[in-house]
Amino acid sequence: MEYQPQLKAALKELKRITGIELCLSACSSSEEEAALNQIRCLITAYKEKYNKTQFLLSLMTDSAPSYDINERAGRLHISAEEPRVLYLLHVPGGMDETMTEILKHLFPSQTKTYLVPVTENTLVILKPMHADDTDEEIQQAAHAIVDTLNMEALVSVQVAYSRIFYQLQELAGAFQETSLALKVGRLFTFGENVFAYNKLGIGRLIYRLPHNICKDFLTEVFGPEVPDTLDEEMTTIIDRFLQNNLNIAETARQLHMHRNTLIYRLEQVEKQTGLDLRHFEDAMTFKIAVMVLNYLQTERTSHYE
Amino acid sequence: MASLSLRGIDKKYPNGFHAVKDFNLEIDDKEFIIFVGPSGCGKSTTLRMIAGLEDISGGTLEIDGKVMNDVEPKDRDIAMVFQNYALYPHMTVYDNMAFGLKLRKVPKDEIDKKVREAAKILDLDKLLDRKPKALSGGQRQRVAMGRAIVRNPKVFLMDEPLSNLDAKLRVQMRIEISKLHENLGATIIYVTHDQTEAMTLGTRIVVMKDGVVQQVDTPQNLYNTPCNLFVAGFIGSPQMNFMDAVVNVAGNDVTLKIGKHTLTVPAEKKQALIDGNYNGKTVVLGIRPEDVHDDPDFIAANASSVITSKIKVYELLGAEVFLYFDVEGTQMTARVNPRTTLRTGDDATFALDMSRIHLFDKETELTITN
Repeated sequence: MEYQPQLKAALKELKRITGIELCLSACSSSEEEAALNQIRCLITAYKEKYNKTQFLLSLMTDSAPSYDINERAGRLHISAEEPRVLYLLHVPGGMDETMTEILKHLFPSQTKTYLVPVTENTLVILKPMHADDTDEEIQQAAHAIVDTLNMEALVSVQVAYSRIFYQLQELAGAFQETSLALKVGRLFTFGENVFAYNKLGIGRLIYRLPHNICKDFLTEVFGPEVPDTLDEEMTTIIDRFLQNNLNIAETARQLHMHRNTLIYRLEQVEKQTGLDLRHFEDAMTFKIAVMVLNYLQTERTSHYE
Repeated sequence: MASLSLRGIDKKYPNGFHAVKDFNLEIDDKEFIIFVGPSGCGKSTTLRMIAGLEDISGGTLEIDGKVMNDVEPKDRDIAMVFQNYALYPHMTVYDNMAFGLKLRKVPKDEIDKKVREAAKILDLDKLLDRKPKALSGGQRQRVAMGRAIVRNPKVFLMDEPLSNLDAKLRVQMRIEISKLHENLGATIIYVTHDQTEAMTLGTRIVVMKDGVVQQVDTPQNLYNTPCNLFVAGFIGSPQMNFMDAVVNVAGNDVTLKIGKHTLTVPAEKKQALIDGNYNGKTVVLGIRPEDVHDDPDFIAANASSVITSKIKVYELLGAEVFLYFDVEGTQMTARVNPRTTLRTGDDATFALDMSRIHLFDKETELTITN
């Protein structure tokens, strides 16, 4: 009976994690060995099915049946009803052991914060909040995650976050809106590392447009020869002009440029596109066209990276 | 510690936005360099490029003579302290400071030595067993600094580390950081939008706007000889007063006309106006609030630089008084002695200290006289 001690330990472990108590009567060592393997497989399968990370990941990806969510959550000691925010962390260079250690210690298990790796580059931090936490506090926590990882792991990271949600059933929705925030934020916002689900601006709309519609729109604005990118000097001038609410005098002053030079440049744009940027409607069309152009350009660049 | 060289550094994002343009700076060993400017001026982006957290689009970054453009942040021998740091809640102060070294598998006795040394410098040695919850805001900030110090880096990079502290604590921490610089003999690059922090901490200040370096100089020189209107307005609190003035050159005499007031330009300033052909042109006159005097003796001695107005607001700050008034539609501030008898609504006479005026070209906004 050489497998008795291992069998005893395996049965004890099975009882601990499932509550099921099995009695075993084996006649030979080979039967004992087979039983031991089967019990170990059972333990592994049970752990996989009832592993917190797996469970939360299946909820996020909407691949878990919804009828027993609360029951399964209860078995895993995860509260089914609690105000939470989902932070989606993106690490361009990939997560490493140091980062995982830092996050584990930043959010120890007592804090009921769950860390769920999604891909090599992304990780979800599911953090309990207070129902009355403000947007500012939620954002502050996102900045704290970014800054701490910058300081401690010396890596560049980006974080998107969801609204406060209360039920585990809402996790899939929160994950979707946060994934969208991360994608749109990375495409349209530069120099920022924190993206809020509710501050995506017009990028949210452009991101959802099919490429052929984007291209049709650009052809409408720029004609058949749509430029890949705009001339840098022209971009600077137009950006400043839009920032200054189409005020020629102020823009010319800030750019140290004669107002007639500025007007000449704006007329050049009008010649090329038919859009007179001194008029609000045309300026708005141009602004959106530039965003669409940059979106396609960035998509193209990232496609080839 | 280390010297840094930034040559022609550029940051351009894929959407064409040029965040930092042709940034050039040589930083000597043990310098305390401040990047200051309004929000969005590119100061944090530049710091993040030095840290390696942002790619450099163009130019060369060297630390101690070695090109660092493509070197990973962890291999640059730097340490950072940012605004939104978080401490490990269940760890003691000691463990918070030691954790980074443990992750890097530094031997225990070496960790202990470094942590205790840093704790001593930061006056945290009696708090090493405490957990973050039991610390004040300032103590937590010092622990965050400690985590950077124990790395013993060549360069410290700090991005608005005091922004989340209240005003009183900020003043206290400013002094601590200044002492730290002295004790460590460290090369520090510090980003802030607060010009008081910049003036009190930096050995040299880099003033930035729209991704472009405006001026690099010592705090005193920035204050006394700003190179353009932006720097003049940004450095100093309350900010410098600006008025449009028409230059009148009559032989060897140069005057400035501001509405009904005529001010005589002193000899040391007038040549630049004559040489620059400013006769009949409008320039911007800048004068700091402390150079606007209400003292009768000063007014009597400077009769050719007198302005009159009605006091709109009297603000007593204890050691000084700010008087707000209009001159030809432009709001001005005078910083005067608290013994002044002037009050809100009074007709007042002031004399400008013309030796301290700054004159700027209205079109280019560059200084004419400095």
